[in-house]
Amino acid sequence: MAKDFSVVSKKTPRIDGYERVTGQAQYAGDVQVPGMLFARVLRSRQPHARIVDIDTSKAEKLPGVKAIIHYKNAQVAWSSGSQIVERYIFNNPVRYAGEAIAAVAATDRHIAEDALSLIEVKYEKLPYVLDVKEALKPDAPKIHPKGNLSVGEGRRGGAPIVEEWGDLEKGFKEADRIFEGTYVTKHVNNAQMERRVSLAKWDGGKLTVWASTQGISNCRTDLAKDLGLPLSKVRVICKNMGAGFGNKNQAHDFDLMAAILAKMAGQPVKVEFTREDDFVGVHGRWASAQHYKIGVKNDGTVTALEENSTTNMGGYRKGSGGLSGTDFYQAPNFKKIINPTYTNTVVAANFRAPSYPQSVFGIASILDQIAYELGINPLEMFEKNRVRLAKNKTRFSSYGLDQCIAEGAKRIGWNEKWHKPGATPGAKKHGIGMALGGYNFRQGLGAAAIRMNPDGSAHLLVGVTDIGGGAKTTMAIIAAEALGIPLSRIQVTYGDTDATPYSIGESGSRTTVFTGTAVIAAAQDVRAQIFKLAAEQLKVKPDELELKEGNVFVKSDPNQKLSLNQALNRVGADIIGRATTNPNEMKDVEGKCFSAHFAEVEVDLFSGHIKVTRYVAAHDSGTIINRLTAESQVKGGVVQGIGMALTEELLTDKLTGIPINPNYRDAKVPTHLEVPEVEVIFVDSFDPYGPFGGKVVGEPPITAAVATIANAIFNATGKRIKELPITPDKILQARQV
Amino acid sequence: MKSFQNIDVKSVKEAVGLLQKFHQQKKVAAVVGGGSEYLQLMKDHVVEPDYLINLKTIPGLDYVKEERGGFRIGALAKLVEIEEHPAIREKLLILSTAAGEAASPQIRNAGTIAGNICQRPFCWYFRSSNFTCLRKGGQVCYTVTGDGRFHAILGSGPSYIVHPSDTAPALVALGAQIKIVGPAGERNIPLEKFFVLPSVDYKRENILNPGDVVTEIYIPTPRSGSKGFYYKVRERLAWDHAIVSVATIVENNGGVVRDARVVMGGVAPIPWRAPKTEEFLRGKKLDEANAKQASEIALEGAKPLKDNVYKVQMAKDLIQRGLLASV
Amino acid sequence: MADEKMGAKLSRRTFLKGLGGGAIGTAVVSTGLIKSDPAEAYSPETVGIARDKTPITLKVNGKAYRVEVEPRDTLAEVLRDQLGLTGTKIGCDRGECGACTVIINGRNMYSCSQLAVWMQGKEILTIEGLAKGDKLDPVQEAFIEHDGPQCGFCTSGQIMSGKALLMKNSKPTEAQVRRGLSGNLCRCGNYNREVESVLAAAKGR
Repeated sequence: MAKDFSVVSKKTPRIDGYERVTGQAQYAGDVQVPGMLFARVLRSRQPHARIVDIDTSKAEKLPGVKAIIHYKNAQVAWSSGSQIVERYIFNNPVRYAGEAIAAVAATDRHIAEDALSLIEVKYEKLPYVLDVKEALKPDAPKIHPKGNLSVGEGRRGGAPIVEEWGDLEKGFKEADRIFEGTYVTKHVNNAQMERRVSLAKWDGGKLTVWASTQGISNCRTDLAKDLGLPLSKVRVICKNMGAGFGNKNQAHDFDLMAAILAKMAGQPVKVEFTREDDFVGVHGRWASAQHYKIGVKNDGTVTALEENSTTNMGGYRKGSGGLSGTDFYQAPNFKKIINPTYTNTVVAANFRAPSYPQSVFGIASILDQIAYELGINPLEMFEKNRVRLAKNKTRFSSYGLDQCIAEGAKRIGWNEKWHKPGATPGAKKHGIGMALGGYNFRQGLGAAAIRMNPDGSAHLLVGVTDIGGGAKTTMAIIAAEALGIPLSRIQVTYGDTDATPYSIGESGSRTTVFTGTAVIAAAQDVRAQIFKLAAEQLKVKPDELELKEGNVFVKSDPNQKLSLNQALNRVGADIIGRATTNPNEMKDVEGKCFSAHFAEVEVDLFSGHIKVTRYVAAHDSGTIINRLTAESQVKGGVVQGIGMALTEELLTDKLTGIPINPNYRDAKVPTHLEVPEVEVIFVDSFDPYGPFGGKVVGEPPITAAVATIANAIFNATGKRIKELPITPDKILQARQV
Repeated sequence: MKSFQNIDVKSVKEAVGLLQKFHQQKKVAAVVGGGSEYLQLMKDHVVEPDYLINLKTIPGLDYVKEERGGFRIGALAKLVEIEEHPAIREKLLILSTAAGEAASPQIRNAGTIAGNICQRPFCWYFRSSNFTCLRKGGQVCYTVTGDGRFHAILGSGPSYIVHPSDTAPALVALGAQIKIVGPAGERNIPLEKFFVLPSVDYKRENILNPGDVVTEIYIPTPRSGSKGFYYKVRERLAWDHAIVSVATIVENNGGVVRDARVVMGGVAPIPWRAPKTEEFLRGKKLDEANAKQASEIALEGAKPLKDNVYKVQMAKDLIQRGLLASV
Repeated sequence: MADEKMGAKLSRRTFLKGLGGGAIGTAVVSTGLIKSDPAEAYSPETVGIARDKTPITLKVNGKAYRVEVEPRDTLAEVLRDQLGLTGTKIGCDRGECGACTVIINGRNMYSCSQLAVWMQGKEILTIEGLAKGDKLDPVQEAFIEHDGPQCGFCTSGQIMSGKALLMKNSKPTEAQVRRGLSGNLCRCGNYNREVESVLAAAKGR
């Protein structure tokens, strides 16, 4: 649906581009305040142990050390961390190697590091379990009092997660063939470029935290709750942050540590994580073992889909532990059982589309395998089995999955390029593969305020931080479009809870919709006030007026107009428009974004090295608010998918329970040289429930990427690899079988 | 990092003198060239010197000189200079290629050839401050019970590291010599004798003693009719060390081998030369059957760990590929 | 394996002690102190005191700065903390990510992997030194136009590597640009854009 937008749907450079390219953009770690101390965190090397005693006396004597906290003197709940079990910033017992056990603030960071080595800890070692299968055995060591199946109350729900519809038994009876398979994915760290850092400062009873957070509003709420402060006494500032992909939502233990150390020391404290701290001290994507049983007709149509899976949550439950990749595939009869399980390993929680890429890898691989066994072209298989109704009954608010498949397949030249698996000659095998993905789209709580100056320029106040998705720019574009003034006339005030209203935070692909909707409503509020003023001057009724390009005019006679300056100069002060919105309009419809990804790979059978040579990502995200940054989001998600598919995994040593590779070098985040040009297609689509018809862009891009590459590898080699990452040794081992 | 003192020296003699002095005082002193690698070891507390002897301030130790019959390269010559040197590209192509495969552009700009040869293992247990492994004075080599997928299949035990250098296999294939200046004076040894197997001493990778400073590498130009091959298998195409690498120089006449030097990286604690393979190849035709047999001989006696069995076939395939490309 | 001499409160033990044996073990959580010589005891009296701050002069972006540094201060730390040039970021502090890339004597290098004391006499160029007054460097302008930054944290490093590449090779191919930037990670995955930006800057667009 082509719409005539002034600003929306163009390619708009980021409004903060200048700050970013000149090094002027200030990140939390760049902030310095007088008297600032530096803090470091001490971590457990025990995977499971009771702390018998902790002796900090020697560390305290080190000149320059100002405060030390640990479980004995800082029993503070970390409520945003775990929804199921109680979790403190320092826990006893410790439940994984890498868990924080103390924090030291000192006059410089070298002293803080030196002090860590002077802290003595006495442990009573407890038996530990690193593997989900082992953890589920009846005699396994209990990580939490109720056992290792992550059972509990609260928002996240308990194990198992169950979803079903139809009649599975009937579905299997109707099938001509039944297939089964198990697919395994690993813990992958978010590995964002900016290491964690938090600077806390007390002014009397008011706490200011310069945080590296994806959501200042929720961060403030959590800090206030855990420290027992009124909301007005907590200020969270985050003007720029170096990404997080889901692991910088809300407040974290180090924010609380910074606040407590600052209180103790009487000076501001900056807690800095090393890269290793970041790998083990926060979380990564949950690993999974997915078992599928699928019934199909001979023509490939799925009649029944059964999934039994486990997810590895690590030592604490911080995320849903769900698997939702089956959302994009149609099944008339369906049952899914997921068991999130504790193990004594690094915690797992949100990482870009937390429950999707792992399970799209699983379901798309097995469907691709079934296509092969039935002698069907995968394109036909996926086209046949793309989801058409959510849970086989609810229609989607907008639907472009068929277009994604058609346009993506055409762009990559699927019909010309596809061949039978393993068919290309020689040692360097060509392969082409595809998969379907997407993400959830829903409405929710947002707030915005707009102050329009008498000269017609405006301040947009939104609580976004901009983790990389370009939220500042997106919100400004929405405001400009909704107000009817040029983008250049909008100044965004953001990233400070003292100044900006609530925003959900850039996570869950929600900001554009939740906060964007509020921005539009705030703009309507401003326009109403402007029209009232202008109506008096033009001697018409307010509803006869329109505002575009900064001019107010009578709809039926555009020559009767006023500039905003003229309309407002009698007021002399700002016009303030505000809105808090929480629409709940999507009854009997399901909101989803959709995608179809296509990739070509080259697999060297001798070295096992895999090169992604071409990539096409077709997305249905409704109206695209900013084409430039939205395309970048898609490219970025694909790159993360390449990493998850081919190289990334956090390993734990079996003998000691200690993470082996908590660093960039060994966890193998993809570099420039792993990545081809990613071609992005946004299909023409409009959703009535999103701002200007827009849905979401942030998380969908990664969901299909892993499966797409895995299916391309199968097409290249004829060998199905069911465990990630698909590293050279796996190619060579498959070759030898 | 633990606190230390940095001393900028003006000559190799001064460096040797200081190293001796600190050794006698039972202090820990180390030389640094580019320093990139050594700093990371210090940050992870693998090494904790009291004194760093900065060799970068010694003038004239970074030369690349072509002479008749070979090249003399100063210890502090940067990897980027070796990679891009026109004469090295022309006459010692596998060295230029190998230098260009190291790490990343920024590290090649700062890192020296001597540093690349002397780098400590990148075994993830060795580099981690959380494991006190055998090589660091502990009791156990963790790869035996743990994850050894990138570790040694030849020459290993009781430590299973692989030597991480990209240039070393190429240099050994080229028959390079290394010059060391120490308290007793100067000595030149073949580079392949520079490295130490863990069965001999598992706490060191080379024969350098306290007081020794590497000053120069000499490489004879390969005889005419020689063709070089270098290939590094790696996961990521930047930063990653070799899973397996192969460097060969094969002197042949229309595909019939006169002489060959075959060296593997990523498979052993030292750059692994395959003398039996070289002997087999002499006089043979470079065809598929001989290449295959040569590769089998090279991997004879391989003792892979549970996680790195794949390296055996990978190395064989790579050797075959190299030999067939040398015609 | 011997413990340190008397007086050292920090005893070094392997983590195997107690494994499978007694349940209680005193594991001193050190940062993995390994020394080949049991040199000075690592005690409060000695640690941190042996910090000699020496004055050095650094030439950064054409200006000379006089600072007092410890030997263990890296160039990245001194640029950021003492000179207030926070445009250079520290992403890993191990030379594994490139966020700290600066140009030293015309070559791009990791500033986290250079000690400040080694930098005397060198010409250091950081992101703050690229623009000439109000006029941005072509690479910077291209990054804005072609959406080079997402979260922006790797951006300074990418731009410096791009700049260093163009200083050496003013007309690079796409492959050369990718290789020239290959020592700079971007977890947001914005690689296509960064390459596009440098190519555009090279072409004068």
